[in-house]
This record gives sequence, structure tokens and C-alpha cells, in this order.
Amino acid sequence: MHLQVLRASPLTTVQDQGRFGMLQHGIAASGPMDRTAFMRCALALGAESSAGIEFTRAGMAFTLVGGRTRAAFDGGTFQLRHNGQECPWPAVLDLQSGDTVEITPGSVGNYGYVRLLAEIDVPLILGSRSTNSIAGLGGFGGRALAAGDLLPLINMDHVLKSAAKPALPDDGQPIRVLWGAHADLFPATVRDRFLATSFEISGRLDRMGVRLIDREAVFRDTGQLTLVSEAIVPGDVQILGDGTPIVLMRDHQPTGGYPRIATVIGADLDRFAQRRPGSTVRFTSVTPDRAHKAALSR
Amino acid sequence: MLDNRAFPSPALPLLSPLGDSGLLVRFGASLSEDANRAAISFSDRLRATAVSGVEEVAGNLVSVLIRYDAQKTSYDALAGEVRLLLAGADKLEPASSCGVAVAVDFGGEGGPDLAEVAAILGLSQDDFIKRHNAVPLRVLATGFAPGFVYCGFHPESLRVSRRPTVRARVPAGTVLFAAGQTAITSTAIPTGWHVIGHTRFANFSISWDPPTQLRPGDLVRFRSEFV
Repeated sequence: MHLQVLRASPLTTVQDQGRFGMLQHGIAASGPMDRTAFMRCALALGAESSAGIEFTRAGMAFTLVGGRTRAAFDGGTFQLRHNGQECPWPAVLDLQSGDTVEITPGSVGNYGYVRLLAEIDVPLILGSRSTNSIAGLGGFGGRALAAGDLLPLINMDHVLKSAAKPALPDDGQPIRVLWGAHADLFPATVRDRFLATSFEISGRLDRMGVRLIDREAVFRDTGQLTLVSEAIVPGDVQILGDGTPIVLMRDHQPTGGYPRIATVIGADLDRFAQRRPGSTVRFTSVTPDRAHKAALSR
Repeated sequence: MLDNRAFPSPALPLLSPLGDSGLLVRFGASLSEDANRAAISFSDRLRATAVSGVEEVAGNLVSVLIRYDAQKTSYDALAGEVRLLLAGADKLEPASSCGVAVAVDFGGEGGPDLAEVAAILGLSQDDFIKRHNAVPLRVLATGFAPGFVYCGFHPESLRVSRRPTVRARVPAGTVLFAAGQTAITSTAIPTGWHVIGHTRFANFSISWDPPTQLRPGDLVRFRSEFV
């Protein structure tokens, strides 16, 4: 059984939970940009397949070649057609050989997922099937998927008994952050303005990071500061030498020397990843204790 | 914005959260021999100690990131364990280090900045290479990119700053020079460092377990490939 890619949005990649434990070797964990949506697919299938496909706003199209399987779709809001027939989003579909699935742009989000009641049979690289776009490893030959690619599938038999909680729509509430590794290097007035200002999501976003537009020039005078290279974690809000804020995402460079004022909490990073270019974002600071409670309540 | 923090130091490391599942231990605000040795020694000791909830230990030039599972431990509990481990530092043996020889083809197509670096330092290219290779260097840190190693330190007399511009891509095996250090790439990366040579030495393969061979603290002896 195979999944044949008919069309793929830019940066459509194979992802599993992530490649953890490799930071010392220079490899970030990768994994889904919206882990919650990725997990909802597994719950909707009643199975925890390890890898799925992450696509971006233009969606993708594929056909199933040989065999039969079930597929779950979630993340953002996309248009979905099964053999030409319109389906709701999110959805679970039973697919047979020759069936075609067409995913086209919808109203919400940057990332969508399809997971199958089958394993995508790409090799485990350093313990994971996730594609790392910065190191060019994992997934399908270390690269984004393209039309014509044929992904081998293996049927799965593990079935879990759980149900997917429906996704909560993004209520537009501020994104919660902890003060970052270098927050103390920013004057108190800049820290205050960082929390009081709306930033705009720019069109320069990918799996490595999301650049923000700082219209109020909060970071204009923070100047160039090169620090000794230190660990980066997903969600770090880094200020480049020209004052551009950039939120580092799942395929972040493992270490960096630009100052980081804050870190988006794990419970809010998925929601942030789905914010589209042109939308605004505000940040609010919480304590580590509050962040842990938010993580547990998801 | 000025980075004028006297604190942290190797004797007085700073513990702080890095996101909601990371604890960063810093042994200095800038790169120094003492802070680097303290960071390497601490990450070795932490790896050798079973601390509940710790998922990953990643050492850097003067700091160590501890990734933890917030469902198994809390930031405060982990910080307490870290302080105990730091307090007992002198009772532990330093980890033994390995050595490796790295043959470099200096200059030429693979090292276009060699002449410029030698000129900045007022040396002939041959003299620069001789001094560069004179003593073994320590691996100061890994982790910037797959297999990438920072090696140091060269004496003050061999110190040059980075280039003003960034090269978008240098290949695997590039030997870089800046800031009193020599670095080796194992994948293609962008860099603002001077490109002084190329080596066939490879420090990364997805088929190895672990995927890199050099560890922080290991000794690297550079030599010229053609002598």
C-alpha cells in the first residue's frame, strides 16, 4: 500500500512526535508545528500511528495506491474533498485503493495534518521519522514532499480506546510567555512595551521561525548585542541585530547568540504556530508554575 | 544594550528557566576557559547522575541546558538537585577525554580566507599554519549544527574577529577560524567565520550511534594534509 502525492504545498513534510535527545549532536527535535492537532488525529483514529503528514496553507492532494486504510484530518480549517465529494473539517475518512483526497486552502491556520491507520514506512533516523528541514534529515529523504512521491504504508494493529476532544478555536487571547534567557539585558521600559504592544505576524514564517513586524519599534534601540552561544528552545522570542523579533519554532537552530527576551509556553506554541501572516499577536508573562498548570490542563 | 553582567561565574553559576520545560545553568556571561571547563564538567557529572525527570542534558560553550518533564519534576525541585550537584563538584573525578588528529588542506579553493587571515595577523601563510597547529585544542562545545565543533583556545596572538559578512553556505568539512577558535563543519551551514581550509574528517553520520564522535573536552590536534 502506498500514498502517492499528487500535489504538495511548500514544506509539506513527514512528522512524528519528534527527535528528542539530539541537541548535543546539533539536531533540534522537529515534530509537528501544531502538536495538539497532530494528537487529535491519532485520537480520532483510535490509534497512535507514529508518523503523519504536515502540510501548509495550500494543502495537498494524494491518492491511495493498493490496500485500504482510514485517515484522520485536523489542524486549522481546510477544504477537504474525497473523490470530489466535499467533506467537513476535521474529518475521518475510510480510503480504498484509487481514492483521491484533495485538501485546499481554508479559513484558519497555517498547518494541517493527515494521519493514517497505517505507518508511513520511511526509515527511523536517530529514533524518529520527523523531517528536520534545517539539517535535511529524516522523513522522506530529508526533504519536503513533492508531487509524484510515493510513500510506502504499513497497516497498523494497535487500537487505543480514546476519543478526540474537539479543537477549541483560537480565542485571540494573548500568547503566554516566560521571561527569556536574556530578559534582564533589556531595559524595564522595553520589557513593559513588549507586553503592551501588538505585533504583526509577517509573511516570513517557516518551521524554523516566525518573524514578527514591530510597527511600534519596541526593539529599535536595543542595539546589536552578540552573546556567547547558548541553547535555544522552541518558543524563544529572539531579537535580531536590526531589532526584528523572531519566534523560534520546531526546526530551530539548536544554539544561538542573539538575545532572547521571552519564551512562549508549550501550551500556547501550537496556537501561535497557526496564526496567519497579517494577524496580530500580543504577549503576556506568566510564572513557570502557571505554565505547567496550563500544560496539564490542555 | 550592554552585557556587563559580572555574574554568573564558574564559582557562582546562575540557574534560570528556559521555557516551561528547560533549566539553563550558566557558568559565565562571556566565553572564558574557566567557564567552559565548568560547563563541560557539570554536564558530564549531570549525565552520570540519575536525576528524576531529566530528559536531556545539552552542554554549550559556557552553559548547560537541562530539558525536563514537568509532569515528573518541577523547576524548583530540579534546581534543588542541580545546586546539590554543583556543591559536591570537587568530590567527582573529571571525565577522561579522547584525542583525535585532524588533517587539514589549508588555503586554496577550500580555504579562501587563509591569505587574509595571515595578513591580518602579520604572518606568512606557512607561519600561520605552523602556529595554528602548534598545540592541541580542546573541543569547547558541540551542538550548533550536526557534528559541528568549536575548538580552542588559540593564544591571543592568533585572535581575529569574524568577517563582516556571512557566507550563505560552506560545505561539510570546512575549517573555520575566528574569535580565538577553530571550528569544523560536518554539514553545509552559513557562516561569518573565516574559511581557512578543508578536511576529510567527518564528525557526523546518521548511521552512527551516537551520531557524532567528538565530545566536549576531547583534544583535537590539527595538522597539514600536505607536508
